[in-house]
Amino acid sequence: MKDLLEIARDAAALARQRGADEAAVGAYRARHVEVAWRDGRLEKVSEATTRGLGLDLYVDGRYVSVGTSDLRPEALDRFVSDSVVLARTLAPDPHRRLPDPELYQGQAAVDLELEDPHHGALDAAERRRQAEAIEVAARSVPGAQAILSVSTSVSDSLSESALVHTNGFEGRRRGTDFWIGAEVTVKDPDGRRPEEYASSGARHRADVESPEVIGRRAGERAVGRIGSRKGESAVTALAVDNRASGRLVGALFGPLSASSIQQKRSYLEGKVGAEVGSPLLDVRDEPHVRRGLGSRLYDGEGLAARPFAVFEGGVLRTLYVDTYYGRKLGIPPTTGRSSNLAWKLGERSQAALLADMGEGILVTGFLGGNSNGTTGDFSLGVRGFRVRSGALAEPVGEMNVSGNHLELWKRLVAVGNDPYRYSPMRTPTLVFEGVQLAGT
Amino acid sequence: MSEYGQGAPAGPREGIGYFARFGVTERMIAETLSAALSRGGDHADVFFQHRVSSDIGVEDGAVNRAYASVELGVGVRVVKGDQTGYGYTEDLSLPALVECARTAAAIADGPSRPGPQRLHVQGGLPDRYPLVRPWSEVRPEEKLPLVAGLNERAFAADPRVKKVNVFLRDEDGAVLLADSSGRVVEDRQPMTLLFLSVLAEEKGRREQSGYNVAGRAGFEFYTPERLDRVVREAIDRTSVLFEAVAAPAGEMPVVLAAGSSGILLHEAIGHGMEADFNRKGVSIYADKIGKPIARPFVNIVDDAANPGARGAINVDDEGNAAGTTHLVENGVLATYLHDSISARHYGVAPTGNGRRESYRYPPLPRMRSTYMLPGPHRTEEIIQSVKKGIYCVNFSNGQVNIGAGDFTFYVKNGWLIEDGKLTRPVKDVNIIGNGPKALEQVDMVSDDLAIDEGGWTCGKDGQSVPVSQGLPTVRVASMTVGGRGS
Repeated sequence: MKDLLEIARDAAALARQRGADEAAVGAYRARHVEVAWRDGRLEKVSEATTRGLGLDLYVDGRYVSVGTSDLRPEALDRFVSDSVVLARTLAPDPHRRLPDPELYQGQAAVDLELEDPHHGALDAAERRRQAEAIEVAARSVPGAQAILSVSTSVSDSLSESALVHTNGFEGRRRGTDFWIGAEVTVKDPDGRRPEEYASSGARHRADVESPEVIGRRAGERAVGRIGSRKGESAVTALAVDNRASGRLVGALFGPLSASSIQQKRSYLEGKVGAEVGSPLLDVRDEPHVRRGLGSRLYDGEGLAARPFAVFEGGVLRTLYVDTYYGRKLGIPPTTGRSSNLAWKLGERSQAALLADMGEGILVTGFLGGNSNGTTGDFSLGVRGFRVRSGALAEPVGEMNVSGNHLELWKRLVAVGNDPYRYSPMRTPTLVFEGVQLAGT
Repeated sequence: MSEYGQGAPAGPREGIGYFARFGVTERMIAETLSAALSRGGDHADVFFQHRVSSDIGVEDGAVNRAYASVELGVGVRVVKGDQTGYGYTEDLSLPALVECARTAAAIADGPSRPGPQRLHVQGGLPDRYPLVRPWSEVRPEEKLPLVAGLNERAFAADPRVKKVNVFLRDEDGAVLLADSSGRVVEDRQPMTLLFLSVLAEEKGRREQSGYNVAGRAGFEFYTPERLDRVVREAIDRTSVLFEAVAAPAGEMPVVLAAGSSGILLHEAIGHGMEADFNRKGVSIYADKIGKPIARPFVNIVDDAANPGARGAINVDDEGNAAGTTHLVENGVLATYLHDSISARHYGVAPTGNGRRESYRYPPLPRMRSTYMLPGPHRTEEIIQSVKKGIYCVNFSNGQVNIGAGDFTFYVKNGWLIEDGKLTRPVKDVNIIGNGPKALEQVDMVSDDLAIDEGGWTCGKDGQSVPVSQGLPTVRVASMTVGGRGS
């Protein structure tokens, strides 16, 4: 098959021939393989290669963004021609132009190691062996007689992409990722069938936790849900597990996009330079983490990736600014989307933090709910455990936390030493005081 | 009816519209199915899909952006018992199809089985989305004034409006499914969605809300009445937020307004009734068929047949007939929602709930349009019955833990009920309950069933499908309201 960079260059040339003044073209190809296993048997195997093109076209000061998986030459030609015609029907937009080429310069000269060179060595038999091993481990935990069902999965993918901008940018990247996971359902004596999961994934297979560890963790977590109850409504201390805390952090980062600010839909508008959290809120954007799930040398617009501070000692330092909304706001672009987050970590484990907290709730999972990006109000379903005298006690469920992000982050009183490695947000355990909990 | 025989010509067949659209022939399909059954397997199917979608958008007063996408591909599935092999490709050449089929075939490990000797196109599908103005015939110049007009009307409606976003999406889709029994099913799948979002400001305070409408329809969907309603609802739902107070926290009676409150059914019972969760024993409803789970006046259906509804389908994505499935009849749990794998497992007929997001995914049991039938109570009577509680009107999202049964739905707008009267608006509050408990506690159902016209999308196993929902006004005696204070 043709090289992706050539495919992107050809499509950019086609766009120009059909009337676009400028174009940004991304071509991608990805191969994904997955094995699912359940209760002693293979459940599903799937294997697929997907490919396609995305084009941003700038035509007489007008803009369209289009994508297609139909790469048959005549179909592609017609699609690009139609897209140019579509653009011409729209109103001009002076802010829609390709990025300033200067911003393409200065890519870091580092090897991010995003591709596992041994990717090809993983075969169907090995995937299946791992999937089975996860289940065996899940069923070996104390209390396993309550287990009703174990579903496990093993998957990996190889992704490639190329990006071509007609004002001078060309880039290509390849990456692999490997994931294993398990979901375990147990029978609760009251008739419910609570479920829990565990998963682990990395760019390199050697960095993924073992099937035995994942199976055991999923099994223990599910057994730990037995007998969960709804507790009483209260204002209380709240610890949020590192796996779950990304949900809260996401609602803090979404409103930092220049589009949210420009559209007046951000409770963080006008807060650059202001204290929006306790001194413990300290987070950087680090695109060059070796093997990081969010690592990159250039972003989706071709901008050279650079590390920067987002929050320092509770003070908001910068926004996520893409080219378009940066021009609308009259501020220089940073990047439109976060890469890896790097938290200034605390020194203590979750257990030590809970010991210090004394009384309260440990949230291990969120259920539904929402955050209002305009006002900062949030209301989220939770489950987890009561913390009594500094130790984990009975499981709780069917409860809710609510508040406003502008108050919540000022109540951040502790940060764990345990970044969650299986998400680019890499969140640690976070502890807040004085949070509204709703239950009975 | 058309049939495939060994001596059939290799070119696209006359009279079968979509073969030409995909550039495939009956012979290619037959060879693909043979490769799919090359290692045994009880059943195989190929699912071709071509979907062209287009959006135009307004921001900051100008129709200055458009998005378009084309998806073309084929998925090949092999089923052995309840095991599934799956592959897909965007290359529709015969070698690529056969390779994809061999990948899917690997789920089985027995001797090869023959593919179908004949293909026959199944006719007689219902037409639940007749199109007056198909999107393929609507020029961009016709759509622009519609979205530009809504933008102007929203600004004119209220001086507090500072930002308006409008999006109009349309989809023109075609699918062709052929399976190892020789059955061929073709369908077109139109869809449209219009979204109007408003940001308003008053004395330095900002509030944002909006309204959206969706359906399987063409351009004719946008009648003057519907467009009027979109503007009015978007403005009303935003301006009421300025009056709103925080909802209380804790257990209390919850009254759900007719319409989009059907999200309660979707989360509290719909997902738990999807048969894959039950055949695996991981649903809280796994042992409840034939048992009473609600008051006798509670009747819940999952319906493919509402004409033009977003959740309507003529046929499911496995080629099975799709009609009205009665989930709860007079308070008794009647049947699960089946795809063909679960139907075989339980020895029942498929219910036409086998759906998939696209050719990239195998089908799963999924909801279509889920709603409760009218009940014996009056709306005023229900509100008057509540001393202190919440009346929920608009929702943004919901979620459920299938096995534990805990579910949530998020209320964008609602009202406090105090001493039988709606007093003050509340906003942004999550409500949490447990499926079977909440159904038991549905103790009043009004006669005012409304099916919501919004663009609801249901997610499961990473797949999103369009759905609809509805409800008459309903009282749930107690759920946990995730507000503040008490």
